Amino acid sequence: MIQLVIAGFSSFLVVGLTALYDPASAGGDELTVGISGETEDQLLAVAMERDDVEPRPYVSEAAAMEAFERGEVDAVVSGRVLADEAETVQLDVVVPAEDLRTTLIVTTLREYLIAVEAAERQERAHELSFTPIELPEETGEGSPYFGFTYTILLPLLLFLPPFISGSIAVDSMTEELERGTLELLRVAPLSLVDVVDGKALGMIAIAPLQALLWIGLLRVNGIGISNSWVLAVTVTAIATLAVVIGLMLALLTRQRRQAQLLYSILVLLLFGLAVALPEHPASTIAKLAIDSATFGTFAHVGFITALAVGSYLFMRRYVTQLNPERL
Amino acid sequence: MKPAKILRIARWELTKNAGGVDRRTLGVVAVAVVLLVAVAPVVAFSGVGLDDELYRVGISEESEFAPVVAEDNTFAVVDDATVQDLESGQIDLYLADTAVHRSDSEKGAAAYEEFRDSVATYNEQQLRQEPNHSAAFPVEVIVAFEEQTGSAVIVGAPDGEEPLPEQDQDDADDGQPADEQQEPSGDEEDEGQPAADEDTDTDEALTEETDEDLPADEADDGDPEAPEPSDGQELEEEDEQTGPLAEFLGPLSEDGLTGSPADITPPFPFQSLVLAFLFVIPLNFVIQAYGSTILSERINRRGELLLVTPVSRTDIIAGKTLPYFVGAMALQAVLAVGAVWLLRGELGGFISVLALTPLVLLFLGSTFLGAMFARSFKELTFVTVTITVSLTSYAFIPAIFSDIDPIALISPLTLVVRDLQNETIALSEFLFSAGPPTLVALVFFTLGAGLYREEDMFDQRSMSGKICDSLVGPITSKWHVGLVTVMLIPFVLVTQLVAVATFFALGELAIVLLFVVVAVTEELAKTFHIYAAYEHNRFERTAKSAVVLGTISGAAFFLIEIAILVFQLIGFTELEIGEALLLFSGVITGPTEVVLLLPPLALHVATAVIGAFGAFRSKRTYIVAVSLAMLVHLVYNLSVVMLFV
Repeated sequence: MIQLVIAGFSSFLVVGLTALYDPASAGGDELTVGISGETEDQLLAVAMERDDVEPRPYVSEAAAMEAFERGEVDAVVSGRVLADEAETVQLDVVVPAEDLRTTLIVTTLREYLIAVEAAERQERAHELSFTPIELPEETGEGSPYFGFTYTILLPLLLFLPPFISGSIAVDSMTEELERGTLELLRVAPLSLVDVVDGKALGMIAIAPLQALLWIGLLRVNGIGISNSWVLAVTVTAIATLAVVIGLMLALLTRQRRQAQLLYSILVLLLFGLAVALPEHPASTIAKLAIDSATFGTFAHVGFITALAVGSYLFMRRYVTQLNPERL
Repeated sequence: MKPAKILRIARWELTKNAGGVDRRTLGVVAVAVVLLVAVAPVVAFSGVGLDDELYRVGISEESEFAPVVAEDNTFAVVDDATVQDLESGQIDLYLADTAVHRSDSEKGAAAYEEFRDSVATYNEQQLRQEPNHSAAFPVEVIVAFEEQTGSAVIVGAPDGEEPLPEQDQDDADDGQPADEQQEPSGDEEDEGQPAADEDTDTDEALTEETDEDLPADEADDGDPEAPEPSDGQELEEEDEQTGPLAEFLGPLSEDGLTGSPADITPPFPFQSLVLAFLFVIPLNFVIQAYGSTILSERINRRGELLLVTPVSRTDIIAGKTLPYFVGAMALQAVLAVGAVWLLRGELGGFISVLALTPLVLLFLGSTFLGAMFARSFKELTFVTVTITVSLTSYAFIPAIFSDIDPIALISPLTLVVRDLQNETIALSEFLFSAGPPTLVALVFFTLGAGLYREEDMFDQRSMSGKICDSLVGPITSKWHVGLVTVMLIPFVLVTQLVAVATFFALGELAIVLLFVVVAVTEELAKTFHIYAAYEHNRFERTAKSAVVLGTISGAAFFLIEIAILVFQLIGFTELEIGEALLLFSGVITGPTEVVLLLPPLALHVATAVIGAFGAFRSKRTYIVAVSLAMLVHLVYNLSVVMLFV
């Protein structure tokens, strides 16, 4: 249920964030631009070659501004040549002061202005020591969502279940301790290690299942995910780490509030500190999923798994020497 | 309510062991937070790319693209790859001497686009190192933002954020940024500024913009032509003043943009996202601790001790909430005043703090109620996650549409955005935005307080049972049914407003969806507590009492709804969907025509009676009856829209 809510919310965020990632993807309409000033000819020439800008010449900037205020043009560009050595072209650009639309307009205009700059630069090429590499032709085929899906969305979806598993592990352990129900469990022929094992394994097992579910859902949506079993292993390892951290904190602090607070901050911190690794776990997941995994990527999976196993064994040792009477 | 007692309980909450966080934990948290703060900028800026080595490329020995690939970590070079490897999926791009080949897959297409961007970035970087700067960047762009309605409202007002150094040095220079934005119709041209001046102008402006708008790593190497020493000094000082946060918040100020075309970053449209993260995320930590403290009172009858003391339960609740409220408000105040100071370089943000209060109350209120409902910590975790998700979307979604007034104002965050931009906020706007959440928070606290008694606190009842209990709490006579209905209205209103914000972009369909939400929420608000009251045997289970209760509930709902619609939904008539919202209550031609008010009154009473009729028998009949009532409500609303539009 909660997962559903989060799924709904995150899919909404995806659209929002993607638009943010590349505002141009939300637009696509042709922009009507009022053009005036000394460099009108150059501006018009560049605009003619582009299909995202429809130029409209005006005799003066004042006339263009009037049209702008009447809403006939989306933006006004007026240019003049400065009297400096290089004859720099100064372009005064006026765009509407709105929110989303402004962003779309500025994004399109930016492309156009870069083209203008490239044309002007061409004229001054003899003064430059570096010749810009010509841009490969635009195909317009590549989806701006593509990289985003693998580098942000997928790691987000796969990291969430382990984090929540750890958080629930904290809850279920501290609850037993605070309510004193651990006593009841100990009446049964179970050692403390068995109890902790049971709690940990349950929480760890949930995470890869959720991860595989997400992967399946993404596949249904036509997003190919490679190496799904390696991903499941990675998620299991991360879940193990999170659950171990959670249970250790629960056993150490014995109070939910302390344990939860420390858990969320420590996990955040670890996630940040993972930057020190040659490859961030999020990046590992992205590379596995997009099928660009290198030897290093698999080495990382191995490392994380080893770390998880090691930490789990450490926790078991710690629990074995705990005196249950004193909990 | 006795302040002394409240304060004492608040002090206990902070100091006693079961409630407070012990020193050891605090120490660890402090160290962790410090580390986190230290790590955060590295994560955010150093381009610890999540997309490192995302695409695999093969490259020919003579390729002109070699330096591009070397610069960009996104591309991993596969040694000895040839064009043929594209087909097998070994590589995604093959860089020949002057051409780029891509594999025929989605990944190849994406890699190709990414590579185009990389080439552009590389060119830009190389050109920045050119000795002849003006030849490398022959175009200077000055972007100004203007309202298109004709009135020349300036967005980038002279707000003291960017005191350009040359202003005080050069009196002859009239080209203050504010003036440029105010009258972009070429005033400077008439005044004929000396060209040299202009040149320094733009160079400095470029530096500043680069510093502010680009990620740190680009900004660092983005300044080959250092300005004159004296100016540089001032620039540096200013950098210190605005601080690194300005990079995030910079676009909020919507100043004019200046620089070469590639430097122009589109203004960040989802300012509320930044704000949501800034103001809302810390609240989640606060409610975690708050939820824990409330729930731990309920574990092992700990709260019993306080309950048996001669302190009223409102005092207990107020006392236990106070530290968290004060803490959260202090945090928000620091953030708001800090943001204002960073953006505008002056003290302010009072309105922001005021606008954030309902949000804080809402978080605490819903957590309080959630902690009263939850049976275990596990349930509490789910409750807090739900609260986080739903309240974040409540604060965030409407604020996205910041150019559509009534929608944006649903979220108090919009008020904060406007305050940060130094825009004036009308009192009515403030009330519209902050009123409903405050009321909802109060409702949450009231309902929760109804449960703060021995019978409920230490009882392992199910969530739904608790919800019934909390609703029945205040009902002792039949008139109280009307009061509970009134109490639930803010909740209905907020839900509907969020629905408006979520659906309004969908056009026609939105109105239908909205009506579904309206019917469901209103019918539940009118009759659920009646059902709960019957379950608790507060009233005789007869048809007569059902009619009476239904009438009271429906009429109460109608009265408040009309009052709210007339006084609160100020600007909603501008929008089609808002019109629909007004319409179904019958206020289409204004409240003066009383005749038109009768049908909605009849509707509300009728549907409430239908619901109440089901309620007095059993759970199953209630579900059937309330669904029927929702259907009637929906059909009525839709037919009204059909008739009048």
